[in-house]
Amino acid sequence: MDISTEQIDSTTVVRMSGNLDTNTSGPAHEKLDALIEQGNTHLLVNLRQVAFVSSAGLRILLATAKRLNGTEGSLKISNLNETVNEVFEISGFNSILNVFTTEEDALNDG
Amino acid sequence: MNQLQSRNPLPRETFALGSIPLVEGDSVLEARRKVHSLAALVAGDGLLSTRLATVVSEVGKALQRLNHQARIEVGLCARGNLPRLQLDFVGQLDTRSLGYLQSFFDHLEKDAGSGGLFHRVSVELTSTGVDTATLGRLRAIVEQKTRDQLLEEIQSKNSELEESLETLKRTRSAKDRMESELNIGRDIQMSMLPLSFPAFPEQGEFDVHAALYPAQEVGGDFYDMFMIDLDHFCFCVGDVSGKGVPAALFMAVTKTLIKSRAANDLSPASILSHVNSETAEGNDSAMFVTLFLAILNLQTGEMVYSNAGHNPPYLMRNNGDMERLEKRHGPVIGAMEGIAYGEDSTSLNPHDLIYLYTDGVTEAMDIDGGLYGEPRLRERLAEADYPAARDAVEDTVDDVWRFQGDASQADDITIMSVRYHGAVTREGETELTLNMRNDITAIGAINKEFNVFAEKHGVPSSVQRRMNVCLDELLNNVISYGFCDEEQAGEHEIELHFRLLDSELVVTIVDDGKPFNPFGNDPPDTCLSVEDRPIGGLGVHLVKNFMDKVHYERHGENNVVTLHKHMDGENEA
Repeated sequence: MDISTEQIDSTTVVRMSGNLDTNTSGPAHEKLDALIEQGNTHLLVNLRQVAFVSSAGLRILLATAKRLNGTEGSLKISNLNETVNEVFEISGFNSILNVFTTEEDALNDG
Repeated sequence: MNQLQSRNPLPRETFALGSIPLVEGDSVLEARRKVHSLAALVAGDGLLSTRLATVVSEVGKALQRLNHQARIEVGLCARGNLPRLQLDFVGQLDTRSLGYLQSFFDHLEKDAGSGGLFHRVSVELTSTGVDTATLGRLRAIVEQKTRDQLLEEIQSKNSELEESLETLKRTRSAKDRMESELNIGRDIQMSMLPLSFPAFPEQGEFDVHAALYPAQEVGGDFYDMFMIDLDHFCFCVGDVSGKGVPAALFMAVTKTLIKSRAANDLSPASILSHVNSETAEGNDSAMFVTLFLAILNLQTGEMVYSNAGHNPPYLMRNNGDMERLEKRHGPVIGAMEGIAYGEDSTSLNPHDLIYLYTDGVTEAMDIDGGLYGEPRLRERLAEADYPAARDAVEDTVDDVWRFQGDASQADDITIMSVRYHGAVTREGETELTLNMRNDITAIGAINKEFNVFAEKHGVPSSVQRRMNVCLDELLNNVISYGFCDEEQAGEHEIELHFRLLDSELVVTIVDDGKPFNPFGNDPPDTCLSVEDRPIGGLGVHLVKNFMDKVHYERHGENNVVTLHKHMDGENEA
């Protein structure tokens, strides 16, 4: 799992690549937590380079969203591939999390 | 497409093999499976067969969307020196709906209709030669009955029966009535049996033979045998109490219930419990049936069986040892509601033979009223070394006839024998076995190795990714919760087996952790702290949604999870 970040206006874009699964979710969670602790409260996680997300990945996204919601921050997610989108649909995460088709859509929203 | 060609409708000299209906969803799947088997037999080319089977699926689905009755006419035609398999899709079809399959039909000729509609498309597949044996096998594949056809048959049997009953009512004399009723009963009984052997010529893993000799007056024996899926063969022998039409009807109902339940249930105990509750309810005539039912896993040789008051079968091992499957798992079927039947399993080795029979065998009488008896049967079997299932049936029946001499047959005599040959790598099958330690960090490597295998064999990436999710979930489950003792981390081995066959992906995960059915509602694991317990069943929910079929069974000391995924209609994106 490689993670790079870029600050665009008030939003921190977090671009992940690899899989968000049992083994990679831990380090990814740490990275997201570290960003929040540094004061980045508006995160956009771009999953364009993520092949699949398992329930372990869903859990850290949910935990991050909960944490940010408690601090007036926000979590957006974009660029889900077909399989990741299915995982979000089946689990109902599509309605819990802020999901966007593209990074631009996410940045232009709100 | 070198070998797949489309051309003018109907060649001049076609040797018809029969037709395969294309009506509803199930029948398209059936047709697909049949065409794949046919093509593999004729052309011996797994990839080509799969592509052709995909054509069948697509055409079938297109026909279905248009709600047209359609069928595939199957034949062999001689063009040049070589015989070719010819498939004619007969039905009204919109070519535009075929989309990317259009290239298969580039030189398509329409023999009717206009505006993109045609009535008949022919696809030819060149063979390297077809002998008489192959011809028989081809025929057998085409003629295999679908579930719909079976249901239809039962319905038409019922109406035949009603007619016969009308005749019966008009029959005056009591004696005539009785005789006629017995005849009707026997007709129903015999018409419900699979009678053509070899019954599954395309299955190299086993051979099976059965015979039923009805007695003049008493008797309600039956047997059945069918494939549940590619890997599971179900067979059973039963004996209905009573005689005549009521017994025959009870048998028909029992047999139908067994078959429909087994389609989605691989547990003999569960099948018997279900059939029992269905037949026992409102069973005023107090009829019942003794039944032995087994499901043989053709890949592993594992045979799970349940016995409801039936004669215990014999198992002849390949080393000459003979066992009797003595265990009874519950009372006769239909007598009492709410019985939970048990089951046992045994592992068959290649060339082991199982021998099932009804009490008509052991209770056959000679002219002085002496019984054939269990000891004589046991001795006969113990001394024999039958090359095939058929020999076991024929040899013992001959011995019963010799014993019976001129005495009349007292009861139905039924014998079934199954010989297991071992797992067979089928045409077009590819497999991969991977082993891993119970170490969480090893899951990624398993997914990578699977992806290499999947890539190499053309598994669509959408299926790959879904399988990646499933493996991540299930392996995480097993490793995190399957082994209670923390010190055992990395000490256990988990085996994964991937098989690719006829565009179906089958994955088996075997671990020696404590018994745990991830798809069931097992109680939470109390040896874990609250923090370590799994959060609900989200992962398993994903697995169930992504796979077409999931199955769990406990085999000895192992948990065995099997996943099935069809790749039809999956895009390559």
